[in-house]
Amino acid sequence: MKPASPPVGCRIAVHALLESPLSELDSLRNRAAPPGGPPLPPRFLRHADEQTVVGMHAVLAALAHHPQPTFVAGHAVVAAPCQSGRLAAARTLAGLPAGGAATVSPHIVPQCSLHSVAGAVSVALGMHGPHIGVGGGPDALAEGLLAAATLVTAGSDPNCTAAWVVATEWAEEPALDATGDALGDPVCRALAILLEPAAAAPDGGEHALSLMLAVRVPTPTASRPRLHQTEGDLVAFARALAMCAEGGALATWTVTCPWGGEIRITGQPRPATGHVQEAA
Amino acid sequence: MSGCVAHRRREREPVVITGTAAVSPLGCDPDGILDRLFAGVSGVRQVDVDKRVQTPAPFAAPVTVIAAPTGVAAGEFAALDRLEQMCLTPLVGALADSGIDQSVGGPRIGLVLGLGAEQLKAWELDFLAGGRTVFEARRTPTLVHRLAARAGITGPALTVAAACASSGYALALARSWIDSGWVDVCVAGGCDVLSPTSIAAFYNLRALSRRADDPAKASRPFDRARDGFVMGEGGGFFVLERRTEAAARGARLRGELAGVGMSSDGVHMVTPSSDPTQAARAITAALADAGVSPAEVDYFNAHAAGTPVGDVAEAAAIRLACGVATDNIPVSSTKSMTGHLVSGAAAFEALACLGAIERQAVPPTVNLDEPDPDCPLLHVPHVARPHPVAVAASNSFGFGGSNLCLVFRRAA
Repeated sequence: MKPASPPVGCRIAVHALLESPLSELDSLRNRAAPPGGPPLPPRFLRHADEQTVVGMHAVLAALAHHPQPTFVAGHAVVAAPCQSGRLAAARTLAGLPAGGAATVSPHIVPQCSLHSVAGAVSVALGMHGPHIGVGGGPDALAEGLLAAATLVTAGSDPNCTAAWVVATEWAEEPALDATGDALGDPVCRALAILLEPAAAAPDGGEHALSLMLAVRVPTPTASRPRLHQTEGDLVAFARALAMCAEGGALATWTVTCPWGGEIRITGQPRPATGHVQEAA
Repeated sequence: MSGCVAHRRREREPVVITGTAAVSPLGCDPDGILDRLFAGVSGVRQVDVDKRVQTPAPFAAPVTVIAAPTGVAAGEFAALDRLEQMCLTPLVGALADSGIDQSVGGPRIGLVLGLGAEQLKAWELDFLAGGRTVFEARRTPTLVHRLAARAGITGPALTVAAACASSGYALALARSWIDSGWVDVCVAGGCDVLSPTSIAAFYNLRALSRRADDPAKASRPFDRARDGFVMGEGGGFFVLERRTEAAARGARLRGELAGVGMSSDGVHMVTPSSDPTQAARAITAALADAGVSPAEVDYFNAHAAGTPVGDVAEAAAIRLACGVATDNIPVSSTKSMTGHLVSGAAAFEALACLGAIERQAVPPTVNLDEPDPDCPLLHVPHVARPHPVAVAASNSFGFGGSNLCLVFRRAA
């Protein structure tokens, strides 16, 4: 292995984990932003994919507990959904044989593609940093963190002040009936974290949670990497963040990547408490 | 990767492109593609759309033949879905073109795939072939990891989506990975495929041209009579590495990815902002990152897809970013010939920029019969123009107000 690249230092300013069963998503879709953060434009989420709805409200929940007013216009967004748009795709395809082209919603591409979660957060909150969707499959969380580390590493721009990572998924991938409706009441969840450059941490900041992202890439070996190794566990990641923030302990969370390397996150808390928002 | 607005240039070792390959409506070998691009050949034609969808706009710019790449058996290749075929062939082709060493103990090679709607396309292709995958409760690995395995790429791999700017963001991330020292070489790019429901969705969004009576004239960026874009398919891949290492191994240096600038409008999920400020910031940031002034830009490959709103917004952004220098920078849209390759557009247009540098000429905007006075740029209508090109810039914009500008420079 070649010499390891230095870890990327940043801090988690705020984070929030949010879960919602499908039966409550319409309510969440129409819910106003919580007090203390920026407002959500009226009816903004009416055409949005389920993962966008949950991801957006995770960001809003996190922002509502930001210790200081934050200049969101300078933020970037890296969204890492897992199989977003599947329900809309199934409904569209189920309707094709009978209805043809006229039944295809014009919203499906802008609202249900890989970029859509990031686009919605960027548009709703007026963010002018770059926004990208990353992953899209079982490895989305790892790929999202890798992309965020890329942005943070490159972050020499003083006007691009922070980057959101918004990871979304169904807790269990829902089975769908022949019309594209979900069977049962699957739970959709999102973790939103706001990464700021390490230098941006205010001295004695109440919520500061320092974090080091290390990306380790092995040199090529005779063995091929496994096609798919592990699903980065979004809930376990949130738990590690909470433990680090609330327990005052050093926490390490590692995801082993399909390409044989790893992304290791080591959190070193400051004395005070962070916040995890959980909302049903 | 530079940030969203102009900032001082960071010193970095130049990252150069040493391998290219593409699939496109104009063919699949880079020299042949460039020959047709500079000859003003249109790839737009009538297409057979799945009878279950029956769009009222049955024309597009398709890829007619995708050859299996070296090392992949024809039968194995035929079993892949069209999207995987479309990506695998130029990916393997770019690696071969670069001559990079992929042996054990060789350079760490990464892969960044720019692709915006992989799963929508995969579910649809499967459904139209009689499958039921979209209804099943299972997660499947994404295409980028299958591609990496097939191409023998063992380093990090991810998919990035920024709608129609996706493959440009792939190039931007790839350069950052090299800058960060995470990889020694990175393959980046993207491709897209035509699909019946995507044609229907864009048609219903009123984004597509309705000039069904004359498909080859339908894609007309910057023209006063434009009425939307024409969908195309294809894209390209590139091998990026540090210049010193590329030069040391005697690689052919096709150009430097010298500047990256990106921003978001933060205004609308579909429509580009009528305020050009953010798009101009991406251009300004890319030029600053490359260390060039607007007056040093020799060619602009515009995003210009031929939509009434988008082309005007882009012209305003270029003018805001480049000021009086705008009057002297030739601008063209190669989408007039290829249609809009969607996720693959930025990669293909990067190839056009490298072609402009290589051939010292600017490709034309065909069908530009009467330039829209609201798009006041130095257009290159109908025929290519010989022109010294050392620096070429390429804009890409996407849904959600995503703005990207890449600057390519002749490799010293």
